[in-house]
Amino acid sequence: MSTLRVAIVGCGKIADQHVQAIQRIVGSSVVAVCDREPLMAQQLAERFGIGGCHSDLAELLRVEKPDVVHITTPPQSHHSLAMQCLASGCHVYLEKPFTVTATEAEALVAAAQRVGRLVTAGHNYQFSFEMLRLRDILKGDFLGGPPVHLESYWSYDLGDVNYVGPLLGNPDHWVRRLPGGLLHNIVSHGIARLAEFLDDDITDLVALAHQSEQLQQLGGQEVLDELRVLIRDRKGTTATFCFSTQMKPGLNQLRILGPKNSISVDLVAGSVVAHRGRSFKSYLTYLVPPLLAAREHLRNAWQNATGIFRRRIYQDSGMKELIERFHVAVGVGGPPPIPYREVLLTARIMDAVFERMRDGGHGPLVASPPAPGVGSA
Amino acid sequence: MNRKHIIEPTDRVLVTGASGFIGVKVVEMLLEHGFRNIRCMVRPSSRRGRLETVLQALPADASVEVVTGDLTSPADCGRVAEGVAVALHLAAGFDKSFAGAFMNSALATRNLMDALLERGRLVRFVNVSSFAVYSNLGMKRGALLDETAPLEDAPQQRHDAYAYGKLKQEQLVREYGRARGLNYVILRPGTVYGPGKKDLTGRIGIDTFGFFIHLGGSNELPLTFVDNCAEAVVLAGLVPGIDAEVFNVVDDERMTSAQFLSAYRRRVGRFTSVRLPYFLAVALCRLWERYSVKTHGQLPPAFNRRRCAADWQGNRFTNQKLRERVGWRPRVPLGEAMARFLDQFPAVAR
Repeated sequence: MSTLRVAIVGCGKIADQHVQAIQRIVGSSVVAVCDREPLMAQQLAERFGIGGCHSDLAELLRVEKPDVVHITTPPQSHHSLAMQCLASGCHVYLEKPFTVTATEAEALVAAAQRVGRLVTAGHNYQFSFEMLRLRDILKGDFLGGPPVHLESYWSYDLGDVNYVGPLLGNPDHWVRRLPGGLLHNIVSHGIARLAEFLDDDITDLVALAHQSEQLQQLGGQEVLDELRVLIRDRKGTTATFCFSTQMKPGLNQLRILGPKNSISVDLVAGSVVAHRGRSFKSYLTYLVPPLLAAREHLRNAWQNATGIFRRRIYQDSGMKELIERFHVAVGVGGPPPIPYREVLLTARIMDAVFERMRDGGHGPLVASPPAPGVGSA
Repeated sequence: MNRKHIIEPTDRVLVTGASGFIGVKVVEMLLEHGFRNIRCMVRPSSRRGRLETVLQALPADASVEVVTGDLTSPADCGRVAEGVAVALHLAAGFDKSFAGAFMNSALATRNLMDALLERGRLVRFVNVSSFAVYSNLGMKRGALLDETAPLEDAPQQRHDAYAYGKLKQEQLVREYGRARGLNYVILRPGTVYGPGKKDLTGRIGIDTFGFFIHLGGSNELPLTFVDNCAEAVVLAGLVPGIDAEVFNVVDDERMTSAQFLSAYRRRVGRFTSVRLPYFLAVALCRLWERYSVKTHGQLPPAFNRRRCAADWQGNRFTNQKLRERVGWRPRVPLGEAMARFLDQFPAVAR
């Protein structure tokens, strides 16, 4: 098989991770980079010894003829750049958030299908080693049926002023111009993992957002950094999503509660813990479950140790895994690694969340209106 | 015109990074030197408390304008460049990523230079760089590191985004000097310390693994007290006949890493630390680097030979060129400087 020619469009911070991940993939090679600011394109090309260096996408597509384009620009440009790449016959990997709105996401997926090319969203945490372990366990009927309830936690430390500082200081910063502001740029990973297990038909969605005291002290103005979401789908599965900059320790977790068994995934601790629906007589209920949980944690520690030793676990392994699966799909003409259903549902849930935030539209859960545009297809 | 200076006291001086650790002192010293037309550029997210304190005690005839802006925005650079005669460019990017460091150092400097050349009446551009740009990998332990020392040629291998940003920034300044006639001076301060900065320099050691590892041993530290460094920045913008020159900034009196750590401990109290000799540090850094390369970065190359040499090999330093060509003298002696640095920490109860 010939080497897949990859181009990176947008040479900011995340572009380094893409190049490093692609360098680990046999059969893929970054042949060109592009940034509207020529100096940014030059610095990336120089550091990684990449031959093609452009400041105009049309020129890159014409000269370099890449098979795949990774778009790592601010989300406002995702739709138009991806459309341009698809029109040139390229497959497109888009960093998260996939697009600004669900309408754009739907148009993009439709365009890709029309021209017979693949697109995917940079939901790389979906392919972390913990999430791969989770899917292995769920291959059988571990849960005992569709999930009863899902919980997704995602947190971010405001102490990292490298990220928050520039955006707080600049009201025109691209993050603040997103419909969901700071949250829009951060929460898609946490929502995407709920979308995997929810039905397309979302009947209820409530979103509460506010500004933390810490952000207020940093001069956060209109920026919101605390979000709680409650969702119910047509089949009655409920889900909560909690994003916080204040919780310590910082969480990156998914809990799936089934009718028979449940499971917890912790992407910070690198653990996947199964909770079996067994009961124990008398005082054994205070002894056996903690011991079983201890066994689960020990098993995780052992698996992680061997994973590190065998070099299967490393930083950004989820991104490499997702990119590799995408490139393989491009090569063999297979389906994309993230089903379009999930990409679109994530975008629709995010639309609805930000709409609720804008409206301040929340109240008693029972009185919440169904989310317009969500799940009505 | 004051013969000692290339501009008049009424000419406009721009200070970028004016609310920063060194920037505030630079503004204070410009006022002290009699300059009365100062424009301070600060990031919108900057904490301005210290700068505001200086501005509250402003002489009646002085005009100090504080402009909020982002140097990565050419439009913001255009706003601050109008009528500037001397630019003291202190704003720095401390982003951990290479792209971020490049953007906040090199790209920001390019935007500023473009705007100044277009809109200013620029007489001099002072680019404040850092000792981080040097590479002492090929130098012997204890060798003299002066302005002629080699520059780092592999900052990515050193895993040092800050050094990369500063190297690229310097490169651009020199290019603008050659191609567009920019009159510039480059200053490379050593380790700047003083009240307002509490962290121990990495040249002394690291606390990455939950306890402090003292790696500096008996190495001389390239210390410069913040007031002394600020004075050097101001003079670099004023003194004639030093265009296109590079100056290292270190104080006359220096301490070893062990002496500094000992004084620090006496003030803040004891904490667990392990002293690691240099040969062991080199061996461990080599091992770490090899594993990182072999595993394609499973372990990021945070420790490597280049960084080990830059931070812990140990060199001697000189300020001879700065003293001779700029006429700079450290105004705060070491004893007073250390006392003022340590005063910011609550004294440990004995």
